[in-house]
Amino acid sequence: MAKIRVYSTPTCPWCMKLKAWLKSKGIEFENIDVSEDQEAAQAMIKKSGQMGVPQIEINGKMIVGFNPEAIEAELKKSR
Amino acid sequence: MAADSKVYDTVIIGAGIAGLTAAMYASRKKMKFEIISSDFGGQFMVSGEVLNYPGIIKTTGVELSMTMEEQMKFNNVNVKTETVQKVANEGENFKVVTDKGEYSTRTVIIATGARARKLGVPGEDRFAKKGVTYCSICDGPLFAGKEVTVIGGGSAALEAVDFLKDIVSKMYMLVRSDRFTGHEYLIDKVKSNPKVEVLLGAETTEILGDKFVTGLKYTQGGKENQLDVKGVIIEIGRVPNTEAFKDTIKLDDHNHIIIDCTTATTTPGIFAAGDCASGHEYQYVIAAGQGCMALIKAARYLANKK
Repeated sequence: MAKIRVYSTPTCPWCMKLKAWLKSKGIEFENIDVSEDQEAAQAMIKKSGQMGVPQIEINGKMIVGFNPEAIEAELKKSR
Repeated sequence: MAADSKVYDTVIIGAGIAGLTAAMYASRKKMKFEIISSDFGGQFMVSGEVLNYPGIIKTTGVELSMTMEEQMKFNNVNVKTETVQKVANEGENFKVVTDKGEYSTRTVIIATGARARKLGVPGEDRFAKKGVTYCSICDGPLFAGKEVTVIGGGSAALEAVDFLKDIVSKMYMLVRSDRFTGHEYLIDKVKSNPKVEVLLGAETTEILGDKFVTGLKYTQGGKENQLDVKGVIIEIGRVPNTEAFKDTIKLDDHNHIIIDCTTATTTPGIFAAGDCASGHEYQYVIAAGQGCMALIKAARYLANKK
C-alpha cells in the first residue's frame, strides 16, 4: 500500500473535498495540518516548490490541488 | 441530424448552484437532460462562511457543496465531467460540443459562473501558488507570521483581510479606487484592525520574487513604491465564463450573457442563470432562483413548440 500524506489547512474547501474523496474510496492517509505545523509547511513547500494547499504526497511524489485523475494514476503505479 | 430519440430536452452547462438547481428541477420533471461541467461545485467551493442563504442560519461553501452533492444523488442527477467548447445552432435545435463528444438538444441552459479576475501584471502568473493566491481561506494559513498584501477594495478583499487577521503579522491593503466598495460591516472591521495599513488609489504594477514572492511594486499619486511581502492575495472581482458562447448569443459590455427577467437570452431556446448572466449581483440565492426559472422557462418553451 502506498504511503499517502495530505497537506491541508482546516479552512480550505478543496482540502475537505480531497479528504472526503479519499475516504469515500477507502484510501488511508495521514493528514498534516500545515496551519498548525510550520515545519511541515516548510517541508511541503520545499518538496513541491508550491505554496498552496491541498497537496498530496504519494510515495514521495507531490500532487498539488484536488486532481482525482492524477492521484489515481499515481496510486496505480504503486499497486 | 441525430434521430429524435437522441435529442435532449435540455443540456445544462455548469454545476454550481444555478446549474445544479436547474438539473434538480429537470430530473423531477422527468425531462431528458444532461448536466455537463468540468468540475462539481462551482465557486461555492472557495467561499468561506455562508450566512445569507434562506433557511440556513450558518454554513460554509464546502458544506453547502457537499449537501448539494447528496441532494443530486437523491434526485438521480449525474454530472458529466466534460468541458464545453461551444454551442452551435443545428436546425431548430442546438449542438453542444465538449472535449469528449457532442449533444443535440432542443434547449440549453448556461450556468457556467465566473472565475477570479487577474491583475494582468508581470510576475502574477510566474508566482501563482508561490506566494500569489486568489483563495485566502485555502492558502492563507501558509502565510502565518508573515507580511502580506491584499489587493482589492470590495467585499471579497475585505473578507480576506478579516480572515487573515489572526494569521499574518501585518497586512497592506492596496485599493485601486479612492474608497472601499464592499459591505459596510466589513469596512468597519478592517478599519478597526491595527494590523492593516490601507493604501487607497494604489495600483499594483509588478509582483516581485525569486523562487517565491518577495514583494510588489505599485504606483500611488504618480509615485512608484515597493512593499516587501511574502504573500499577495488578489481579490479584484470576477470575470464570467462565457468565452464558449460569444458566437451564439449576445454578451454585454462585461461579457456577461444578456438575459431578460425570464432568464431568456437573445437566442430563443437558450437560457442563462447565475454569475455568467447579466444580473451582475453575485449571490447564491440569485443563482438558485435563476437556475429554477431557467429550467421552468425551458420546459415551457418546449411545451409551446409542440
